[in-house]
Amino acid sequence: MTEPTPQDERREEEKLKREPRDAAFWAQRVERLEVSDVPEGAANVNVQGRREVGALQGFGKLWQKTYQVRLTGIETTPEEVVRVWKKHFPEFQPPNSRFYPSMAGVAPGEVLFISASVGGMPVYTGVRVIYADDESFTVMTPEGHPESGWNTFSAYQDDDGVTVAQIQSLSRANDPIYELGFLIVGSTEQERIWTHVLKSLAAHFGVNEPVTLEKVCVDPKVQWSQVMNIWQNAGARSMLYTMATPIRWIRGSIGRRNP
Amino acid sequence: MTERETDGDQILHGSLHSLRGEYEEIKEIYRTRRIEMPEAQVKMNVRKASDKTSIIDAEGELTAFAEDVLMDAYNRASDGHVRAIILNFEGLEYMNSSGIGLLVTLLIRINREKQRLLTYGLSDHYRSIFQITRLDDAIAIHDSEEEAVRAANSA
Repeated sequence: MTEPTPQDERREEEKLKREPRDAAFWAQRVERLEVSDVPEGAANVNVQGRREVGALQGFGKLWQKTYQVRLTGIETTPEEVVRVWKKHFPEFQPPNSRFYPSMAGVAPGEVLFISASVGGMPVYTGVRVIYADDESFTVMTPEGHPESGWNTFSAYQDDDGVTVAQIQSLSRANDPIYELGFLIVGSTEQERIWTHVLKSLAAHFGVNEPVTLEKVCVDPKVQWSQVMNIWQNAGARSMLYTMATPIRWIRGSIGRRNP
Repeated sequence: MTERETDGDQILHGSLHSLRGEYEEIKEIYRTRRIEMPEAQVKMNVRKASDKTSIIDAEGELTAFAEDVLMDAYNRASDGHVRAIILNFEGLEYMNSSGIGLLVTLLIRINREKQRLLTYGLSDHYRSIFQITRLDDAIAIHDSEEEAVRAANSA
């Protein structure tokens, strides 16, 4: 290998100067989600080929929900909390909302598969990590997911020097069915999930503190222009997928007998 | 869990609370503790492009800590009969996902006031972030100040 010339070094320095400091933290843009490896136990349903949707694309009212837990009585840093959070992300989830990260884990651009259960019905979907630095990471939902928007998982130190772990979602229901579901029971279910996650994270550090929740309705209007999102509803499609399991099993058996 | 619920104008809603009896950790105690955030590493200069159009020059870091600075700049920019706000991002040095959230909140506020939000000065990197987060569906991106002002005045 040849030694870099002064010109090479200057070019590299200029490139670094041009590159924004946050460049390494953001995922690359993709038109649609592409899945190469499906982790064991996960179902690649309602993920492959879906477009990501943000807080502006969904149907329902736009909510910002901020969940926090103070990690009192321990010596830790926001960086350490987020490092642990990334590493053990699936373990902190409740049994009815399983996350399956890829081998690369929680890193920019990675897809996390979700197998959830709502009222006994399975919901297969996923999220993509769009941003991850040492003190936070953010996931964005695809079409068909119950929500349209982002969840940011972060930690910071408050004025008392206590590290606070936080989940902040900025999202709206993706379609009218989900909006109705959130009104009846889904919102409580969702709050229970994120409370469980923060409780589990705190317990990992040996802390048992209450979780606080602040809810702000950022936009009380529903977006009727997005009503057709209903066709992508992951809950309905997961139900069809589950009902078709015997057919897939029979097809698979025939295929194995007549290779 | 302690809980506090407000809408965009800090009005309390309580309609869903009755549905949560089964969840022992959800209690009707509003959170009173506000945690102070570190100082924002961002500056916002406001200037008029015309009677109906204001420009906000953003310089520095757009993160959660920039909320007060951005909203204050918007309040100053939307004085009078302003119908369009242009964000100049030529001086943007850093943006995280919380910064994107701030722009969504600003956009909702601007739409509520029947105003429009436009931008210019985004580098390729930040344009790409607008595309990833699909902010570009709702916020017009222009190459230069002249182009943005022309677009704002033509509507």
